[in-house]
Amino acid sequence: MNQPLVEMKNIKKSFGRVMALKGVDFSVGHAEVVGLLGDNGAGKSTLIKVLVGYHQPDDGEIYFEGKRVKFGSPREAREHGIETVYQDLALVNLMPLWRNFFLGREIVRRLGPVRYLDRKTMRRIAREALAEIGISVRSVDDTVAFLSGGERQAVAIARAIHFGAKLLILDEPTAALSVGETRRVLEHILEAKKRGISVVFISHNIYHVYEVADRLVILEHGEKIGDYKREEVTPQHVMDLIAAAAGVK
Amino acid sequence: MKGDKVTLRDLLRIKEFGAIVGVTIFLVLFSLLSNKFLTTENVFNTLTMAAELGIISIGVAMLIISGEFDLSVGSVFAVAPMIFATMINAKYDPYLSLIVSLMVCAGIGLVNGTVTLKTGIPSFITTLGMMMFWRGILLAITGGFPIILSRRVDMLQYLGGKVHGGLRYSAIWFVVLAFVFWIVLEKTRFGNWVFATGGNLGAARALGIATTRVKLVNFIFSSVLAGFAGLTTFARFKLVDPTFGQELELEAIASAVMGGTLLTGGYGSVVGACVGAFMISMVRNGLVLAGAPAYWYRAFIGVILIVAAVINARIRKRVAG
Ligand SMILES: Nc1ncnc2c1ncn2[C@@H]1O[C@H](COP(=O)(O)OP(=O)(O)OP(=O)(O)O)[C@@H](O)[C@H]1O
Ligand SMILES: [Mg+2]
Repeated sequence: MNQPLVEMKNIKKSFGRVMALKGVDFSVGHAEVVGLLGDNGAGKSTLIKVLVGYHQPDDGEIYFEGKRVKFGSPREAREHGIETVYQDLALVNLMPLWRNFFLGREIVRRLGPVRYLDRKTMRRIAREALAEIGISVRSVDDTVAFLSGGERQAVAIARAIHFGAKLLILDEPTAALSVGETRRVLEHILEAKKRGISVVFISHNIYHVYEVADRLVILEHGEKIGDYKREEVTPQHVMDLIAAAAGVK
Repeated sequence: MKGDKVTLRDLLRIKEFGAIVGVTIFLVLFSLLSNKFLTTENVFNTLTMAAELGIISIGVAMLIISGEFDLSVGSVFAVAPMIFATMINAKYDPYLSLIVSLMVCAGIGLVNGTVTLKTGIPSFITTLGMMMFWRGILLAITGGFPIILSRRVDMLQYLGGKVHGGLRYSAIWFVVLAFVFWIVLEKTRFGNWVFATGGNLGAARALGIATTRVKLVNFIFSSVLAGFAGLTTFARFKLVDPTFGQELELEAIASAVMGGTLLTGGYGSVVGACVGAFMISMVRNGLVLAGAPAYWYRAFIGVILIVAAVINARIRKRVAG
C-alpha cells in the first residue's frame, strides 16, 4: 500500500532538436507536497504537461494510483483528479467568479428538453467553498478582473479542492505576488495537504518551496539532478546545486 | 451581505444597460420631433425593419464573444434567398428549398470555421475572402440581374408576410430568435463556454472546454442566421438582387458593439445586439419622420456607434474590469 500517488518513469520528451526531458523519474506521494525546482528551461513545465496529458511523452511510463495511465488531454487528467493551476490559464478575467468556479463543470437543471444553468446553487456553493478555505470575496458576481493575483490563485486552489482533486499542480503560483499574498498562497497549499491532497509546486523561489515542501526535486537541462527530503538539505545547498548545474553546461 | 437595494453597480452590470438607455433617449427625442413616432403602427414598423439586421447580429454577436469575426454574413444573406428562389423557380418543393438553402449556409459557416481554426489565419481574413467569393459568384451567375419569384409560395407568408399592419412575421422571428439565443448564451453550459473561449482561450482549454467546437458551432450559427434573415427579407420582396445585403456585416458588428459586445471577445450580449439593431432601425425611421433627408442617417449612425462604444467601454471597465 506504500505506492506513491504518481510515478513517472524514464520520461523523455523532445521538441524538434531540443531534448526537454532526457529520461526523468518523478514521483509524488499521498498528501505530499513536492517542490519542483530548476533554472529557466530546465524542463519543469514540460514534465507536468506530460503528466497531465498536454504533451505525450516520447518514452517512459506514468502510473497514477498504481495504474498505468496515458492521458490524452488535460481534461482526462482532470477527470482522474489531477488539477493544474497555471499562472495565466486558470481563470477568465471578464467572467464572474461563480462562472469561473464552475467552468467546464456547470451544474444544470432540466426543464423539459432544455438544460439550464442552476445559477443559484452555483453561486451559493462558490461562496461557501471560498469561505471554507478562508477567502472572502465581496460578491461572487464580481468578475475575476477585480481580484488580486493572490486571490486568483486562491480561487483556483479552492476550486481544485472543492472538486475533489487528488493531485494539485501549481506552476509558479507565487511569481509576481507580494509577500503577504505569497504567505496566503502557501497557507492554501498546506490547507490542501491537510485535506489529503498531494501538491506539486513549481517555483523559482527556493524559500517559498522550502517552507511548504516535504520533498524537493531539482531538474536541470532535462535531467533530475537532485531529489531530497526537506530535512536533508538547506536552501543554500539547493541553490548551489542549481547554480553549479547551470554553470557547468 | 447585499440586501434588496439595487445599486448603480447592479444596474451597470446589466450588459445591455447602455443600449437600453440609448434607445430610451432616442425614443423621447423622436417622439418630441414627430407625433407619428410613438404609435403602435410605427413601433411595429421599426421592429420589422430591425428584424433583418437583428437576426444577423444575434449570430455575429455570439461569434464575436467567442473571439472570432464573420464578415461573410452580408453575402450569405444573399446566397440563401438566391438558392431558394432558383429552386422554387425550378419547381422544387418549398420546404426542401428552404432546408437546402439553410444547409448551404451551414456549410459556409463550417468552411469559415474549419479554415480559420485549422490554419490559424484570423477569421477576419477567411470570412472577408468568403464574403468576396460568394458575392462574386452571385454576380457571375446572375449576370447582375435580380431573380424574381415566378410562383406563389404560401410558406413565405410565415417568413416575412404581414401579421397585422406594419408588423411582419420577420419581426416575430426576430423576437423568438433573440429569446432563444439569449437563453443559449446566458443560461446554458454552451453559453458559459462561449464566454470562456473568447475571454481566455488558454484557460478554457486547460479546463477541458472544447474551444474549437464552440467556435465552429458559432460560425455555423452566424451563417445560418444570416441566411435565414435573407430569406425573411426575400419573403417580403419576392425578389433577390445579387447585391442584396451588402454592408450588412458592418451594420451587424455595429449593432453588436452598440449593444455592449466587446470586439476582442469574452464579453457581450445577444439581447444587447438586438437592442443595437433596434436602435439603428429606430434612428433611420425617426429621422425620416422628423423630415431629415435620408442621407443623414448613415452619418448619424456613425456618430452613435462611436459614442456607444466609448460609453460601453467605460461601463465595462467599472463593472467587469
Ligand atoms: N512546445 C514547445 N515547443 C518547443 N520547445 C519547447 C516547448 N515547450 C518547451 N520547450 C523547450 O523545452 C525546454 C524546457 O522548457 P520548460 O518550459 O519545461 O522549462 P521550465 O523549466 O518550465 O522553465 P521556466 O522556469 O522558464 O518556466 C526549453 O528549452 C523550452 O524552450
Ligand atoms: Mg515553466
